[in-house]
Amino acid sequence: MLGRRGTTAPAEPPVSEPAKHVLRALGAGKKIDEAVLLLPTDVDVGEGECVVLRGPNGSGKTTLLRILAGTVPPSEGEATLDGSPIDERDDLTRTAIAALIGAPATYRDLTLVDHLVLIESTWGNVGEPADDRANEILELLEIDHLAERFPHELSSGQQQLFHLSMVLVRPSSILILDEPEQRLDTDKRDLLTRILLDRKADGSSMLIACHDPAMTEALADTVVDILLA
Amino acid sequence: MTGADRQRLRQVRAAILGNRPDNSMSSALYPLYVAVIAAGTYGIPASQQLFRSLDKRWVAEHVGTPAGAVVAVTLAASLLTLVLLVGRFHGPVVPPLPYLEMVVTSPIPRKVTLARHWWLSLGGASIGGLLAGAVCGAGLAIAGVAEPIVLFPATLSGALFGVLVAEIWLQGQLHGQFQAPMLASRRGSSVLSRRRNALARLDITGLRRQAASNVTIGGAALAGDIRTIRLDAARPTTHARHVRLRPSSPLVVIARRDLLGLRRAPGSALYGLVFAALGSAGLMLSLQSPRTPTMAPLVSLVIAHLGFGAWCEGLRLHADNSGTSRLLGLPYRDTALAHLAVPVSAWTLTTLVVGAGLWLTGLVDPASLVWALGTGALLAGTHLMAAFRGLPPAGVFGPHAGVPAMIFWYAKPLLATLVVGTATAAWAARSASPWNAFSWLLILTCGVVAWGLGLVGKRDRRS
Repeated sequence: MLGRRGTTAPAEPPVSEPAKHVLRALGAGKKIDEAVLLLPTDVDVGEGECVVLRGPNGSGKTTLLRILAGTVPPSEGEATLDGSPIDERDDLTRTAIAALIGAPATYRDLTLVDHLVLIESTWGNVGEPADDRANEILELLEIDHLAERFPHELSSGQQQLFHLSMVLVRPSSILILDEPEQRLDTDKRDLLTRILLDRKADGSSMLIACHDPAMTEALADTVVDILLA
Repeated sequence: MTGADRQRLRQVRAAILGNRPDNSMSSALYPLYVAVIAAGTYGIPASQQLFRSLDKRWVAEHVGTPAGAVVAVTLAASLLTLVLLVGRFHGPVVPPLPYLEMVVTSPIPRKVTLARHWWLSLGGASIGGLLAGAVCGAGLAIAGVAEPIVLFPATLSGALFGVLVAEIWLQGQLHGQFQAPMLASRRGSSVLSRRRNALARLDITGLRRQAASNVTIGGAALAGDIRTIRLDAARPTTHARHVRLRPSSPLVVIARRDLLGLRRAPGSALYGLVFAALGSAGLMLSLQSPRTPTMAPLVSLVIAHLGFGAWCEGLRLHADNSGTSRLLGLPYRDTALAHLAVPVSAWTLTTLVVGAGLWLTGLVDPASLVWALGTGALLAGTHLMAAFRGLPPAGVFGPHAGVPAMIFWYAKPLLATLVVGTATAAWAARSASPWNAFSWLLILTCGVVAWGLGLVGKRDRRS
């Protein structure tokens, strides 16, 4: 399952029992002076649900993801997590939401596996389980052979898989992903789709901006079309 | 170089210039004009003021001795080593990218197409050395430290040192390129022949890399983006890839990350160790006598600031990453503070070892050791300021601000180290008991750390 190579046993699902949360945008829009980045939009991501955002370039998909990840406040409407405003600096928000919006922070002097161990440890997963989880995630995304490479030694597609591994390794109950399929070949897109379907089956909620019709078809419970401002 | 080569290069230059007049000579002479004016207006007054501020007896006791000569040779060797390292990333021969692509890749011999850029760098370095020597010589003469005749040997030595700097700089560029110096072996391997063929041995990949880096760094410098300059100049890490980060508790794993980072950058670790040892030793020694010139703690603090900074790469990388998706399970501020654990511990350990050695030889007292340990907290605060200062405010780029405003803005962390450290150290050296001054060092250090944490909070809110 999940595109693992060889005959080794399948990896355990990365998150076994995610907590239940509801992510909601109600008329959430973003304006900076006269520039409209996002028209007022409604989105509701329920427990274990996958919502896919579609829309032309510049329609505000990434802005909406940032608002719902709590890194940007809406200039109108509201964005809530379980009824409370979302703020990335709030521990509860960070614990619930794992977001990949643009390239995440990486350390140029750490290898891929070191990054995953660091993330695991800062979330309180210490000892051998952290090592095991790091290796599992790398195997899951079929980049375990790159474990001891530094980020600057990866191709753009490998970088994308590495960034996804950093989001998938940390505990979360809601995944927010901005075009996770970008720079991936067809096989890797299929692999990613299967991984996300497994996460969904385990109860994770997802909000994804996606331009791939096959991925959208496979993953989406709801599709929200964002209009160009 | 044949006459035909020269003729072809003239035609190329004519094609590049088009109908515009060739003002390359005036472009080259203008910086020289500015440098001569700056040396006369600012350099000589500053130099003579510096020599006046020194205790003549102290200078006489130290300069003429073998130890003084060793210090001078060590300083010169350190500077030349630095120049060699700089040459690996930015050499003296870096033509613009279009010139590289269209002219340097042509069949015209490389030593012809690159000669102009080399002569400009050689001229700049030798004239810079000449002016530096003249400024030092004039300062010594005007301050009455030496006879006026010192101006001539100082100027000549400066010019010769400038030529040496340019040669070492070029050798650094040659060592920094990917291709082996094959032409040298084909045309003879003596030092002289290698030197003669130096320009011909520069490969296009290395030249392109340095030219592209030049564009990036030039743009970043104009925008005041010191982070881009640092990341562009740094060599990618490839050491110790098989050593793995061991899982630990959230704060400990950050410290382990920094230790692993230093293990993978042994040059930085060693540079930090040498500079921290020299800086802490200088600081402790400067507190021993009221006759010590104020310059001594000042120079020691600059060295200590640089050494401590070499251990702070983890802190800087954390600051660089603000604004990106956060994946660590620690609050931003806690992560920043955890990144200080390694540099503070390394400073403490280095100072204890150096201080114990100096104390056992009777050169310093325990109070100086405590002082140097306290300075570690000051350095932690100022490096927190440096890492999280972000980009300069728009006002720095205004028509009334200019380069001095930008330099001042960037130098604030170093200035904080120097002002707090030097003022309190000078006070301590001149008073019967150092503890009043030490109390003020701690109070001011608290202010500096609070300032640094304020900047961390600001970056946290903006990201």
